[in-house]
Amino acid sequence: MREQRIVGIGQMATCRAPDRLACLGLGSCVAVIFYDPVLKIGGVIHALLPKAPANCDSDEKYVDTGTRKLVKELMAKGAIKERLVAKLVGGAQMFSNLSLSISDIGKHNVVEAKKTLKELGIRLIAEDTEGNRGRSAYLSTESGRVTIETAFAPTKTI
Amino acid sequence: MTDDAPRRVLDIITEFANIGAGSAATALSSLLDMELMNDATTCEILPLAKVSDYLGGAKQVVAGTYTYLCGDLKSGVLVVFPSDSAKALLEHLTKEKVEIASLTNIQLSALKEVGNICLCWYLCAVSKMIDVDMIPAPPDATVDLLGAVLDIPLASLGAKVDTVIAVHTSFKALDRQFEGYFLMLPEESTLKLILDRMGESG
Repeated sequence: MREQRIVGIGQMATCRAPDRLACLGLGSCVAVIFYDPVLKIGGVIHALLPKAPANCDSDEKYVDTGTRKLVKELMAKGAIKERLVAKLVGGAQMFSNLSLSISDIGKHNVVEAKKTLKELGIRLIAEDTEGNRGRSAYLSTESGRVTIETAFAPTKTI
Repeated sequence: MTDDAPRRVLDIITEFANIGAGSAATALSSLLDMELMNDATTCEILPLAKVSDYLGGAKQVVAGTYTYLCGDLKSGVLVVFPSDSAKALLEHLTKEKVEIASLTNIQLSALKEVGNICLCWYLCAVSKMIDVDMIPAPPDATVDLLGAVLDIPLASLGAKVDTVIAVHTSFKALDRQFEGYFLMLPEESTLKLILDRMGESG
């Protein structure tokens, strides 16, 4: 039986084929999605904020620490870093007229994710980021493809 | 933050939010000329990941108006209408057919204004009750997946905490299909202030 695991804000998860991982309603949050095509193992982190402060104990809430932790976990499960590919979804600006410093956090999340991937030496092969619409992302560990649903636009796959 | 918060504290916050939501529902009633009824306020301590489940699931499409208080009280406040209620509301106000997937600027502005009125009445009532000035930032509105609407409100709290107190009051029309809810997400310092002013040292 194929199962689908929902990854909420500040959480991460890994799974093997044929299961699926899903992040529902990504706004400014960003999902960093990893896939090892040989093992057919995938991992997703649903991060809320870009950079963790020092002495932070909830790594998964942040793009930088969460991404590193997830890659470590995938490697512990047999994934090879050179084989891993990454996809990015989310980081929208949901309330563009809000004059708060937090309102462009989505963009910061995306920038931080790209920086972290570069530092880790993992290829970013596709993204659907920024803009001003929320997204739901589903990773198929059979194919490594990510299906993206929005409130009103047609579904797409990256 | 408050995994060990006693039920009594939640009861006080509930009462606080009740007053605010009552006032906002009255304002909305007269604006829309329909009778609205408030449901009981519920107040839960939730991890960040569970807030959207508590509100019915991240995938539902809603219209959300959000503002943030930046005076002595620090809290996010949201007014949320399910998409069919938002459509009914806008059609009622603008007397024209509304396509919720592609709102015109006027329609979005109307939605924002309804949210603004609700939020201001909510804040006015609670600010009088505890005698604290509240300065809301100008609100903004969007129609999107609930999970996405909640991201910014949660991100403003999430830097400090892993759990939030979500204070939820729903309202519905007595004579037709129309509903929505208020959501308050106070910062911890604000909780203390509220408890203090409500006669509890928390």
